[in-house]
Amino acid sequence: MHGTSVVVGVGESTYYRAGRSPESEFQLACIAIRNAVADAGLQLGDVDGFVTYSMDRNDSLRLMTALGTGELSFSAMSWPGGGNISAMPIQIADAAITAGYAKHIVVFRALAQGQFGRFGRPPVAAYASGDQAYKRPYGEASPAMNNAMPWTRYMHDYGVTAEATCNVSLASYAHAQRNPRAIRYGQPLTREDYYNSRWIVYPYRLFDCTQENDGAAAMVLTTPERARELKQTPVYVKSAAAGAAQRAGLQSTYNEPYFPYSRRLHVADRLWSQAGIGPKDVQVAQFYENFTGSTVMCISDMGFAPPDGIEEFLSNGNIQWPNGGLPINTSGANLAEAYIHGFENQLEAVRQVRGQSTCQVENVEFSLAVGGPGAPVGSAALYSKQP
Amino acid sequence: MPYMPDGWTLPQVDDWNRAFFTSGKLMVQHCMDCDRVQHPPEHLCIWCQGMNLDYLEASGKGEVYSYVLPHHPPNEKLLTRVPYNIVLVALEDYPHVRIVGNLIDAEIDEVKIGIPVQVTFEEIVDPNGGPTIQLPQWVRR
Repeated sequence: MHGTSVVVGVGESTYYRAGRSPESEFQLACIAIRNAVADAGLQLGDVDGFVTYSMDRNDSLRLMTALGTGELSFSAMSWPGGGNISAMPIQIADAAITAGYAKHIVVFRALAQGQFGRFGRPPVAAYASGDQAYKRPYGEASPAMNNAMPWTRYMHDYGVTAEATCNVSLASYAHAQRNPRAIRYGQPLTREDYYNSRWIVYPYRLFDCTQENDGAAAMVLTTPERARELKQTPVYVKSAAAGAAQRAGLQSTYNEPYFPYSRRLHVADRLWSQAGIGPKDVQVAQFYENFTGSTVMCISDMGFAPPDGIEEFLSNGNIQWPNGGLPINTSGANLAEAYIHGFENQLEAVRQVRGQSTCQVENVEFSLAVGGPGAPVGSAALYSKQP
Repeated sequence: MPYMPDGWTLPQVDDWNRAFFTSGKLMVQHCMDCDRVQHPPEHLCIWCQGMNLDYLEASGKGEVYSYVLPHHPPNEKLLTRVPYNIVLVALEDYPHVRIVGNLIDAEIDEVKIGIPVQVTFEEIVDPNGGPTIQLPQWVRR
């Protein structure tokens, strides 16, 4: 595989702290899409497909009407999950472009949490059903708690400490200081700040947990042939993988056979075998940080270091731009740029191939972006300079 | 007194989880076709796809396999409850079965991986008139 589709445009709205957007969620979606289309050098009338994820509330019919796009030829929603599948719409759009079902497909995600509520503050329900019935009655009521459970065991099994999560957090914050789009631009974080921050849910401190934000991010995919006439250097979708391990549904109650891990081993196998390259060939990577322990396990799952070597891999500035061996989360990512459900990370991976990041890595041939770890269905996209 | 506050979320009892949540015994789902055990209960056996399922009583002994300690309340009901513990217990007789609960006789700094535990039950009357819950919980042994 493969290189039969390319990203030709990226765009976003202004990113806001949760609840601070003066625009509605639908307006944010339209702004990001308009910017991505303009970035490509296309007209809105050229757009004929939409793909999104996590039951995004802004459906393709409403979008195509409001934006005045061409006829709708392709419309799809990835499932199941949220940030975990933030690279899955890339896989779907890649397949649709390759098959010729549409000419210019917009992939996007929009969130206005002031308008619709935050993931981290679920309301109290009288009853919990399905898998939740086995967790909610015990006070397991937030994503932070769900993500902490495997991480406690992982630290125990592999001798990993909070230094690993601290280094992930510090990298995102350091990189955000160069990115004017970032919510945490101008708010540097020190190691001392990290360790002094309050517990959210042990073993996670405040700076282990993602922000929640208002904003939208979008990109446009087409064929390499059409891209020749467009404005930007095309970025190839080299490989995209999504899915779950056998019986991964047991994950939500922690009964899966491989517990504890980030639930990304299977995604890694397929991503690398389809691309015909491995982790060592990648110059830069974006790893979704809902909670930093999940990110640490994910970096290991994706093949960059074994569990008992992951803390060392993350230390000594190895994941920080400009001198690290593998700079990660170069825009500031969920923790410090903005939590647009991980789609902002997909845009950053594209920028790194184009040479347009605010923490630009030199000579990028392969740029990786992995969807949110922790939940059982995973996704990852690998972008490249050459097909 | 139950570990979680009055008015906290109760399990929605259905045909599949009734044994687990209302029997006052630690019941795990068992496949009569292949003799394997699975948790949580499902509408068919995830190993052989059989639909002849019943429930077996486990010994109730296990050990803490993992845990988390919530300090930040995600909603107002938990404001006065934090900090508390949530444990994941691996059963002694079915080690591949792990059950989420609270270690109700331990302070948060006493919770550790590997602690031997024994099931106990909290009786919770549903204020909305649903079935009375016998919620599986854990104490140290």
